[in-house]
Amino acid sequence: MTRLILAALAALSFLASPVASQDAPDAPLQTILQTHHDLVESASRRTVQTVLDDLIASGLPEVPAFLERWQARELYMRQSDGRFVYVQDEDADPLVLIDIDSGAEIGTAGSREVDQLRANRGVQTVIGAALVQFQLLSPDIATRATALEAIDRAPEPDQMPLIATMLEAETDPDLRADAESLLLRMTIAFGEDEAERVAAIESLAGRIDVQTRAALNPLLATRTGVASQLPEDANIAAVLEPGSDALPRLEAYDILVEEGLAPAFVSADDRRETLIANIEDGQIVGIQVHSLDNEEARIAAYAALVEAGLAPVSPTDEEVDAALAAHVFYEEYREASAAVTSAAEETVSAINTRVSILEMVDLSLDGISLASIYFLAAIGLAITFGVMGVINMAHGEFIMMGAYTGYVVQTIVPDYTVSIVIALPLAFAITFGAGVAMERTVIRWLYSRPLETLLATFGISIALQQITRQIFGAQARPFTAPDWLAGSLSFNDVVAISYIRIAIFVLGVLFFCLLWLILNKTRLGLEVRAVTQNPSMASSMGINPDKINMLTFGLGSGIAGIAGVAIGLFAQVTPELGANYIVQSFMTVVVGGVGNIFGTLAGATMIGFFQKGVEWLNPSNTLAAQTYMILFVILFIQFRPKGIVALKGRAAEM
Amino acid sequence: MGNLIKTNRSVPIVLALLAGFALLVTVLSEAYGSGGLSVSLTKTLGMTVCLCIIALSMDMVWGYSGILSLGHFAFFALGGYMIGMWLMYARTEDVIAASLAQGQLPATPAELNDAIAVQIFGVVGGDSFPWMWAFSHSLVAQLALVVLVPGILAFVFGWLAFRSRVTGVYLSILTQAMTLALSLYLFQNDTGLRGNNGLSGLQNIPGAEAIPQSQISIWFLWASIAALALAYVFAAWVMSGKFGNVIRGIRDDEARVRFLGYSVEGYKLFVFVVSAIMAGVAGALYYPQAGIINPDELAPIASIYLAVWVAIGGRGRLYGAVIGAAVVSLLSTWFTGGRAPDINLGFYTIQWVDWWTVLLGLGFVLVTLFAPKGLGGLVDLMTRKGEAK
Amino acid sequence: MKKLLLSSAIAAACATSAAAEIRVGVLHSLSGTMAISETTLRDTMLMLIEQQNAAGGLLGEEIVPVVVDPASDWPLFAERARELLTVHEVDVIFGAWTSVSRKSVLPVIEELNGLMFYPVQYEGEESSRNVFYTGAAPNQQAIPAVDYFLEELGVETFALLGTDYVYPRTTNRILEQYLLDAGIPEENIFVNYTPFGHSDWSSIVSDVVALGESGSQVGVISTINGDANVGFYNELAALDVSADDIPVVAFSVGEEELSGLDTSNLVGHLAAWNYFQSADTPENEAFIEAWQAFAGEDRVTNDPMEAHYIGFNMWVQAVEQAGTTEVDAVRDAMYGQEVTNLTGGTAVMLPNHHLAKPVLIGEIQADGQFDIISQTAEVPGDAWTDYLEESAVLVSDWPGLGCGMYNTETETCVQLESNY
Repeated sequence: MTRLILAALAALSFLASPVASQDAPDAPLQTILQTHHDLVESASRRTVQTVLDDLIASGLPEVPAFLERWQARELYMRQSDGRFVYVQDEDADPLVLIDIDSGAEIGTAGSREVDQLRANRGVQTVIGAALVQFQLLSPDIATRATALEAIDRAPEPDQMPLIATMLEAETDPDLRADAESLLLRMTIAFGEDEAERVAAIESLAGRIDVQTRAALNPLLATRTGVASQLPEDANIAAVLEPGSDALPRLEAYDILVEEGLAPAFVSADDRRETLIANIEDGQIVGIQVHSLDNEEARIAAYAALVEAGLAPVSPTDEEVDAALAAHVFYEEYREASAAVTSAAEETVSAINTRVSILEMVDLSLDGISLASIYFLAAIGLAITFGVMGVINMAHGEFIMMGAYTGYVVQTIVPDYTVSIVIALPLAFAITFGAGVAMERTVIRWLYSRPLETLLATFGISIALQQITRQIFGAQARPFTAPDWLAGSLSFNDVVAISYIRIAIFVLGVLFFCLLWLILNKTRLGLEVRAVTQNPSMASSMGINPDKINMLTFGLGSGIAGIAGVAIGLFAQVTPELGANYIVQSFMTVVVGGVGNIFGTLAGATMIGFFQKGVEWLNPSNTLAAQTYMILFVILFIQFRPKGIVALKGRAAEM
Repeated sequence: MGNLIKTNRSVPIVLALLAGFALLVTVLSEAYGSGGLSVSLTKTLGMTVCLCIIALSMDMVWGYSGILSLGHFAFFALGGYMIGMWLMYARTEDVIAASLAQGQLPATPAELNDAIAVQIFGVVGGDSFPWMWAFSHSLVAQLALVVLVPGILAFVFGWLAFRSRVTGVYLSILTQAMTLALSLYLFQNDTGLRGNNGLSGLQNIPGAEAIPQSQISIWFLWASIAALALAYVFAAWVMSGKFGNVIRGIRDDEARVRFLGYSVEGYKLFVFVVSAIMAGVAGALYYPQAGIINPDELAPIASIYLAVWVAIGGRGRLYGAVIGAAVVSLLSTWFTGGRAPDINLGFYTIQWVDWWTVLLGLGFVLVTLFAPKGLGGLVDLMTRKGEAK
Repeated sequence: MKKLLLSSAIAAACATSAAAEIRVGVLHSLSGTMAISETTLRDTMLMLIEQQNAAGGLLGEEIVPVVVDPASDWPLFAERARELLTVHEVDVIFGAWTSVSRKSVLPVIEELNGLMFYPVQYEGEESSRNVFYTGAAPNQQAIPAVDYFLEELGVETFALLGTDYVYPRTTNRILEQYLLDAGIPEENIFVNYTPFGHSDWSSIVSDVVALGESGSQVGVISTINGDANVGFYNELAALDVSADDIPVVAFSVGEEELSGLDTSNLVGHLAAWNYFQSADTPENEAFIEAWQAFAGEDRVTNDPMEAHYIGFNMWVQAVEQAGTTEVDAVRDAMYGQEVTNLTGGTAVMLPNHHLAKPVLIGEIQADGQFDIISQTAEVPGDAWTDYLEESAVLVSDWPGLGCGMYNTETETCVQLESNY
């Protein structure tokens, strides 16, 4: 069937080609493009400007529309004759070709007979800049915004009057503010009047957005220079002392060598190369080559070469010092105007202070967020392990089941919000059921043998993981947050936190309050505490320990399921999802102190903040942060074996 | 020895079985016998024997002393890393020395050292030896480290933990944290042991390049069997007599033993350190057969599996640990090696490669629930029947 | 039903039978952490073998796949490889994904003179006599992508983000040197490594955004592996970082990885590969059609699958040319073997056991596919990179020099076995 269509297509395009080949003189746009055929076909940021200049110089009325379509990747090229065309509907088969000048249909072609000319982002930016002059004064506000953005990406001095013209008529306050800010930044970069630039810089004081910093920081770029005397006309940032921390002695000398102001050291490698170059008949100036198997012998042989005038001599310490003393090293601003740099220096340092304070705030937010994720992963364990003392290695798999519940619901209910509303209680119900089933069939036989619970539940854990892999496959499954959870709450350019993390935090707080209420303020909580502290006494008081154990375990598991929905939104839904959290969750509970959800909260907070703190100290290595976090936990337990919030009295002896 | 045989009648039986096993594999081996035993199976058997040694050491701390260590593979892997460092260094040195000898100038010691470092660490972006490789040129030193490094780690960790009276589940989680921290540390590329790549090519023994793997593999199998026999006798000896009684007393009621005036911490620490050293030696024998060691080897899950082997075999009896480790790991090999026949149910075909893990997991549950004494319990059953007659 | 077909294919695979067949070992993890990527390749191999058998087999014999599971356990890769070669007596192995698994297998196949096809992009710095590398070397993926950043996007500040293992480490080391050579100052290169499966990306993404304060265009080169990408891209999307602000080019994100996340926020970010499913050629159309019929309508194809496609077809051609499956003869026949790429053009096997393949750069689209915006001519794979001082002097030429690690400076063969 496909073959038939292809054949038909070929026939059609054959019919169409004679029409296309007439390159009529009344097609000026096509003519310009054909003169630059290759530059259009494989457009590159560096070369496309030539084409754009010609197009704009032609003054054709179709040019702006053409550029927009080119930028939007709607331009095609017919392979048979290299003609540039539009297509009517890019999903159609065959494609209906449209002439770029007249807008008339000029035949059809199969998808492999035309090339879509996909302008890359760089080319799009350049075309965008060329379009600015048409767009900046456009009546459409969105077009004007696009134009401003285009300038911002690639600002050029000659665009400044354009923006000024636009500002005269601009009525939209937001756009106006953007344009003014842009103009200000362009003044700083391109302005010719020093006072104007300084004023612009000073007006930016206290603004911490990345754009402002991006405008100011380049002014402070420096280069290291060396001369025999400090140059008069340069805008000097600092004079460097060779041998100081800023410029170690050897680095300073290397600069001299690079500038050709001093002879280079002879390194061990150079020595080796020189020796090899002077080998003659297994000898170097009379020294046997095979004796040169240590550094001393090589130094001696090299000295012999120097003496024979066959090799350059390496400078001595005194010569180095003399060379360094004869020169002055300095840092010089690339920006020539001292007034501008000093104004920028002042403004930037004020901004940087604010930014570093805000960075600490942002770090704290990250810490809280990480802590709430640890808390959420561990809270179910706080009940099953912390309160009941059951080591449930399959806890992680309950989290995973929650996440997969979310995924399955989303495949059935397409609306993301509704699906999450359904998934949360459903995940609770499913994992509650799974927990109860596990408690009834396995765990209740093992209450007297806690360490064996570990083995049995570990067995269940690996079985559940593999079963999940069989059902859903090993690939990560998409489980997407609804739109109102996408994006982030951004206070400014430094402090921002994604809504999904806020949601996890809120969920953590909710769980905490809920569990605290259940355990401390309800009959169930009372009975749970009674059963876990002394089951025989509790049962003689008329409590059914079997039922309580079952319900408590179900509750802990159910909460893990809900946590799974939240974690699945934030991380990746795979069969290993739970296994990734299990060890850390146990540590969270243990560090915090068993038997108490306050402990889990404290544990999660401490671990979260500690890890973020280490990450901040060593930002390029996240793995190290995790390692130190665990080491810290190990040491912490040694000195406070019962955790942060230790239970006192009888309850502690369980 | 006579006393030991009296107190633990399994010792002569196990020794006899091991001797018989050694004889059998030799007769069947490719190098010295009929060739019915392939090299890959020889290696699998050799590695399984090493796993039996670590299971034995696990049984000492868990079955006899009540310390459920979930970090024993840390010691095992450290032993492997220590011997691996020598294997890598010595093999690379041979290659590099031969290559540099073709150069125009004879290499200086520094050049040789640098070239070896680049060859070993180039793969992780390094070009010089980290401090921990200081003794890697010396086989004797690295063999000493096989014992010392796991021993010292166990001593420090155990001393801290037992002193703080961290017991039970807490201790288990702490040991798990230890192995996780160590594995994360080793995963970092610049910590000196080649990060995620680990040490590889360990099956090529320096100086023995000309000897085929069929011989080397059987040598290692013999060495592993000998080590298992020694470890078994040693463990049986330690756990018999008064020391063993105190240890079992600590397992059953730590507080009471402490009140009787025994230094509970000292006893526990001794067993923990000894068992870690046994694990280290087992690792040093295992990885040259496996060929590669990397931080994945000490991920927490490996140590949990170890506990499960011991539980399945039957803890608190040494032969139980050996049986458990051997049975489970050999079954795993068989089921995931593509040789187990699939079961066609008509509507669905059960492929063991996929379903083996599920079966294994459910097996753990069933053994824990219905056979708390493990497979070793079956041996009990049989011997008791024998006695009844 | 699909599952059933697959099952029976594997059932056939596992049944051992008479010696008058050609056996192909498939060494991909079916369980453990790597199963996520490698099961697809197992299925690809089964499909290719099924197709070849349907077309009359090879040398008049039937090809029988032997599937084993190394379970993402690196020592097990060596053990299984030995088993395949000595017990199952396979003629060739297709397998491995991570570098460490390849390094684990290397000593075994070199000892036993086996033959392996390795289908994944990797860090280079290796050329074994017994391995044919059908994935990309750094100069076939990383370098062209960085060139695109430098030339087309005008990126001046680079964030090299990677998972902490050897491929990102080595690739980033090469790229760092390449960028320094291209005149990018050291302080404009930010490097970060995260563990496998990392999910807490907020601070790293804000660090990257903060790089923009230098006033230059920031770009991210991502060698983040597997699952961790989900969290990374979600965080980028949450902070509203568009591809116009900070473009990200990824070397480990393909169609398969994208199928695990919502791509509507990632539109415009880039990936560099030798293959994209969206390539519009008749060969690719047929391949996708066959794959979806074999594995399921919703399955996607990706670059390592094409690598196996090329590798398997080359091996079949080489066996036909040699008239035997004997390893030495097949290896000699492999050099210069040509197979039509699924993306157009021809892949050629070079003397250094790498392929010449085109490099494609694609932009992520909302439907999880890639819009191919740049396609080079065939780039010959380079076993030893030219951008690191110690590797620049090394070349690999097996048929010519008989050496995979030949030092051109001293004109000696450093070693015949590979460096593991």
